[in-house]
Amino acid sequence: MYSFKSIVLIALICTSLCISSQSSDEPQARLLVSKQVLNKLLVQDSDILVKYTIYNVGSVPAINVILQDSGFPDEAFATVKGNLNIQFTRIPVGANVTHAVVIKPLTYGRFNFSAAVVQYKSSENSVEPQLAISSEPGEGYIISYAEYDKKFSPHLLDWFAFAIMSLPAVVAPFVMWWISKSKYELILKQKREKVSKD
Amino acid sequence: MKLKWMLLCLSLFAAVIGVVRAQDDIDVDEEMIVSEDQVMIETDGDEPNIEEVEPTDADTYLLFTKPVFEEKASIELPAGRLSEFLVGFTNKGSEDLVLETLDASLRYPMDFNFHIQNFSTITIDKTIPPGSQATLGYAFIPADAFAGRPFGLSINLAYRDNEGKQVISKLYNDTVNIIEVEEGLDGETLFLYLLMAAACVLLLVGGQQFLYSVGKKRVGGGLPSRARSNLETGTKSSKQIDMDWVPKNVINHLNKQKAQSPKQKRAKKIE
Repeated sequence: MYSFKSIVLIALICTSLCISSQSSDEPQARLLVSKQVLNKLLVQDSDILVKYTIYNVGSVPAINVILQDSGFPDEAFATVKGNLNIQFTRIPVGANVTHAVVIKPLTYGRFNFSAAVVQYKSSENSVEPQLAISSEPGEGYIISYAEYDKKFSPHLLDWFAFAIMSLPAVVAPFVMWWISKSKYELILKQKREKVSKD
Repeated sequence: MKLKWMLLCLSLFAAVIGVVRAQDDIDVDEEMIVSEDQVMIETDGDEPNIEEVEPTDADTYLLFTKPVFEEKASIELPAGRLSEFLVGFTNKGSEDLVLETLDASLRYPMDFNFHIQNFSTITIDKTIPPGSQATLGYAFIPADAFAGRPFGLSINLAYRDNEGKQVISKLYNDTVNIIEVEEGLDGETLFLYLLMAAACVLLLVGGQQFLYSVGKKRVGGGLPSRARSNLETGTKSSKQIDMDWVPKNVINHLNKQKAQSPKQKRAKKIE
């Protein structure tokens, strides 16, 4: 009886070992993280929309996904809306999560939009978090507000000045015409009065 | 009884091991078939040699995000529109891998060496530590002219290991369909309709003119006498002109000018 039990135990241990050696093939979550800057024009002191999309293309849900973006230093950017560090407790298989942040550049010049960092547990049993970096939007040029204004402002003041400058050329002929018209009308009026008196 | 149990357990154990082994074999076979990785080795000549190598430490994944396809569905890309895909890269080895470039191109489907359209090669230059993952984004626009035809799409990712050995991983190398985007109303059709409407209006006007002239010929046969007497003659007869509205000084001035018109002056001089 004792020997039988021990043999079964050994057999079980062996099988479990065999299976555990297969652990590298165990189903894992796999995240693809894209970071996109949605603005076509980057302007100083104007909002920039940054979109993060996380796709889970693995075979099990990703757990405790932490997205951190330290690519926007405080001295150069202000966060208008949203959070640059965010956590998702669970991203199911085949699902995607979108996160958007609105930031505002405080200065102008070239800026390299670098990758965000993502940490997640690739399966329930995994101990160490899986590190991943997102895609990079790349280098962009943030133009100054003055430059932007020069290109896209409605130029209201300029048009007002133009209107004032062109006023004499329009008003002078009109005044001359008005004077002569009123002269003739006065004569006609006098004549009519004469006729009615008669 | 004991013996039977023991035999059963042993056979079960053997079976489990056998199954596991078999799975291993299949996995290895699949990897051998799937891996299309190639290594570029710099030689003395300008042309680099491309050699087949065993699977590397990298694991890649390709996902089209725009347009979206179901898994294993045939890829159809809209011509003239932005297409985007993400590339997942995992360093499974124990040494750093450096991502170098990512490029895509459309090839002639019969001969993949024949390039139809090259898309820009992006330089990544990023070190991926062991066990870490990275995502790369790529966007391209297939040319409008290629709509409605199949093309070979080739996506290549180049990376190198610590020893400087460069590996080009073919992420995608298959035929895709470039489809034409059906638009509700584009400029071409709009102007065609506009031209047709203008032609219709022109026809109507022409028809009206023709009918009018035909009708007039039949009924009148020339201008009636009453119409001739009512013809506008302008200010030929100066008696009908009402000069009351003109101020007196202007009339006097006019009369004076008439009296001293240059023709009369000349006539007087001749006399």
